[in-house]
Amino acid sequence: MPERKRRGAGRAGAWWLLDSAGAVAVALALAIIVGRRAEGHPALVWVLLLLAGGALRAFAVARARISGQITANAEKRMVRQDLHRALLPTRLQRARLVGEDLHLAVDAVDVTEGLTARFSPLRLAATVSPFLIALAAAPASVIAAGIMLITLAPFGLAMALAGSAARRAADAQHQALSRLSGLFVDRVRTLPAILAFGAEARVAAHLGTASADVARRTLAVLRIAFLSSAVLEFFAALSVALVAVYCGFSLLGLLPFPAPERLTLTRAFFVLALAPEFYLGMRRLAAAYHDKQTGEAALAAIAAERARMPAPAVTQAVPSAATVLAARGLVLRHPEGAAITVPDADWRGPGFHAITGPTGAGKSSLLLALIGHVPIEQGTLTRDGTPFAPGALNPAIGWAGQSVALVPGTVRDNLVMTDTPLDEAATLILLGRLGLGTMIGSRGGLDAPLDHRGSGLSGGERRRMGLARAILSGRPILLLDEPTADLDVDTARAIRAILADQAARRLVIAATHDADLIAIAGSTCRLS
Amino acid sequence: MPPLLIDTLLAEAARPQRATLRLAILCAVLAALAGVTLLALSGWFLAGAAIAGLGGIAAVQAFNYLLPSAAIRGLAITRTATRYGERLLGHKAALLTLAGLRPRLFARLAAARPADALETSTGDLAARLGNDVDALEDSVIRRTTLPAALASATVALVAALAMGHRPALALALGMVAMRLAARRMAARLLAEPLAASAEARARMKRDYADRATPCADIAIYGLAPRIATLTADAAAGYDAARLATVRAEARIGAVQALIAVVTVAAMIALSPAGAPLLALGALAALGGLEGWAALAQTDMQAPRVDLARHRLALLAQHGSTPEGPDIKGETLTIAGAVFAGGTRLRIAGRSGAGKTRLVETLAGLRDDAPQSVAIDGRPLAGIPPESRRPLFALAAQDAPLIAGSVADNLRLAAPGIDEAQMWDALRVACADDVVRALPEGLDQWLGGDGARLSGGQRRRIALARALLARRPWLVLDEPSEGLDAETEALLVARLRDWLDTSGSGLILVSHRPAMAALAQQTVPFG
Repeated sequence: MPERKRRGAGRAGAWWLLDSAGAVAVALALAIIVGRRAEGHPALVWVLLLLAGGALRAFAVARARISGQITANAEKRMVRQDLHRALLPTRLQRARLVGEDLHLAVDAVDVTEGLTARFSPLRLAATVSPFLIALAAAPASVIAAGIMLITLAPFGLAMALAGSAARRAADAQHQALSRLSGLFVDRVRTLPAILAFGAEARVAAHLGTASADVARRTLAVLRIAFLSSAVLEFFAALSVALVAVYCGFSLLGLLPFPAPERLTLTRAFFVLALAPEFYLGMRRLAAAYHDKQTGEAALAAIAAERARMPAPAVTQAVPSAATVLAARGLVLRHPEGAAITVPDADWRGPGFHAITGPTGAGKSSLLLALIGHVPIEQGTLTRDGTPFAPGALNPAIGWAGQSVALVPGTVRDNLVMTDTPLDEAATLILLGRLGLGTMIGSRGGLDAPLDHRGSGLSGGERRRMGLARAILSGRPILLLDEPTADLDVDTARAIRAILADQAARRLVIAATHDADLIAIAGSTCRLS
Repeated sequence: MPPLLIDTLLAEAARPQRATLRLAILCAVLAALAGVTLLALSGWFLAGAAIAGLGGIAAVQAFNYLLPSAAIRGLAITRTATRYGERLLGHKAALLTLAGLRPRLFARLAAARPADALETSTGDLAARLGNDVDALEDSVIRRTTLPAALASATVALVAALAMGHRPALALALGMVAMRLAARRMAARLLAEPLAASAEARARMKRDYADRATPCADIAIYGLAPRIATLTADAAAGYDAARLATVRAEARIGAVQALIAVVTVAAMIALSPAGAPLLALGALAALGGLEGWAALAQTDMQAPRVDLARHRLALLAQHGSTPEGPDIKGETLTIAGAVFAGGTRLRIAGRSGAGKTRLVETLAGLRDDAPQSVAIDGRPLAGIPPESRRPLFALAAQDAPLIAGSVADNLRLAAPGIDEAQMWDALRVACADDVVRALPEGLDQWLGGDGARLSGGQRRRIALARALLARRPWLVLDEPSEGLDAETEALLVARLRDWLDTSGSGLILVSHRPAMAALAQQTVPFG
């Protein structure tokens, strides 16, 4: 456990322990009140201690829960920050859909909440509170304190014996339950297919038998799982009963053994009132076991995904624009599983080259393969005749894809992605030619704040921002995905002119099905 | 709470479990009685023993200690056993009730208007629906809470009467105050943070999905740290709402505990009773009020359960659909052009023109085709979706597979399909090799959406399923996407044979020339 997390659990755990302290005060007040009543003395002042103890308990429990949640929030924030940073740039390399990453980045992190907020502090408190209560009881009655501690030994043994079995059972139960819930969710998700085949009655019947079956199997498992909590309940009840019987017989002077202590009613009542508190911490802990399970399962899922993280590519020195990239015998694997055969191609820089083919033929996948985001099954990519690992040239690549990531800040912040300083005049001219001049002008120029959601920008404007960003990056290689798609005739023409300009200085490769753009290409790689 | 259809469904599902639930309630009541009585009796026993001990030998011998000490041990065992029974039987009733509810709810959903069903079927909504059903499960388990709380309260009140009538009155008032406070506070404090959490959670998910899409952009320009800060910020809103919820719950719990201790203090101050009865009453009150406070937990769950009920009720309410006309699918009219049964036609057009919408409308999954359509000369408006579905066998573009085995998926097509038929269909769909390569063949379990298979493989299994349905029209939406040219050619040849033999009509959406060769006519679109 990291230090920060332990401190957080410690804080909430301390509040839980304060609740035990409040319990001692309540027990003391009750004992004195009853003791004085037996002697015929008034005890109204001690009622105030009862109230104070009760108030302390109410406050401590509330603080414990809030403090646990604050720790959990801080922890979730750290986990997310770290996890999102690792997930966001590697999603394609791990061949994950946005939805799959979303589940991990949001839902999995979320279910760790109970583990941090409740289970960890309660575990801390549960290891201390029995001894705290026994310690408080000892001055009143050493034997009663001893009885409490002695019941702890067989309890520990029983839990150790039942524990591993119970844990396995509880894990299995948890799995069975989520599978049942998952089955229902799945059939609702696939409802259109089920409706299309008129299979709704058959599926409903199957859902019924499967649910009943899983429910029955779950129950068999629950029988064992609840047994371990029954053991806990038994020892909790036993310790109260033994303390009560011992104290009663001691007060009557009927103990069958010589006792080292002489109990008074006050002392006896004090330890009796403390007896249920001895096991309270462990009972609370048992109630939070489900939180531990789900939380740990989620952490394991996160760790497993982290193990899939690709090793960062070893990058090469940035080449000049006069570089030649080539594909030889390339076969890619589409994220959906199909093979994409790429005809051999030579992309000579500086110059403009097109990748064409029907929708779904793998144009975007080829561009992504060049940056190492789609795996290469066969063949090689070469740079000036030597093979290079996909991803190795990324620091030399300016990228403009179909979707554009915007960052918080100004228009300028979203255009400057590299160390290359911005030539303000040239930038404004470029933005003008891209048809973004009016939009940026109306917002107040390059230093106008840009809502990080990019609200107010149309999809087309976003993509042209992406294109401007790639051009302004100053990098020698540009990879562009459909740079002229969904644009009006004039803007598309302007972009073709810009790309023709850029091709004089850089190696530009674009996936496109725009015939006018293909017409100006030095080479065309056609996928089918 | 006004009764909703979902409540009726739940009541129907709960009926066979009534005996179990009654037993669970009995156990809960006994556990509560034993728990409170154990404390009260122990207190009385100690005080009585102390007074007898001071009174000398005669008093000690007059004090019946055997009965109380035996009762204390008996109560301890009763409490343990009944608590076990309560938990086990309560879960049994809840699990089996929900096992009965799920198919009922599913049948309702399936009968809902197609637009609702489609909307519900996106993964996120389906998952939420699952959570809502789970929330109901919790509410069934909680049905033992009220009887148990009443039992605790009754023991405490009887014990309080032994302290005097004024302490008993104080206890009753304290209990009323606890209930009023819990209900009022739960309604006032919790509704807002709960709604805010739900909204913030949806926002957090939307936000992450938006940001995670431009993965290449993020990687190339090293934007991950900056974007991760953003997604973490969006999540902070959710965390704040969660904290507000926990704060509200903690406040409600604290107020319950405070009222309880004030009540006990007042009872002690008002009681004229001697030590034994004072001890009896005070300990019974402390234990009884703890059981009583459990009701506040139910109050805190109530807004959550209520939200779940209402969301489920929305989905379950549309049930009845009018009887449709008897149609056979002998002719199909699309945008004015008439096609006879058995025709093989291709729908051509640019992407986004609504081709998928058209085929899903024909197949009875929605009602918003952009083109005018008629079946057997009747306009679509007069034909309910249920009547259209038996005419078309759809292999959809996203090839949805259910979580089950390959055979489960194929059997979806029609009742009574045997293995030989399955292999035939798989061969036509060029998926027989795929299935043969799976470790368990036809019985191979496919996770949600056929996670083990690639998109192309999934699509071919979905195609085999459509073939097995044997409907007048086979509807294929981009069936060969992601296939290599060789397999595609094989698929086209086998499909042509199959169409020749079966005489089935074909509606094809595909831009691949090899596939298009299957069609005799083309409907231009958009």
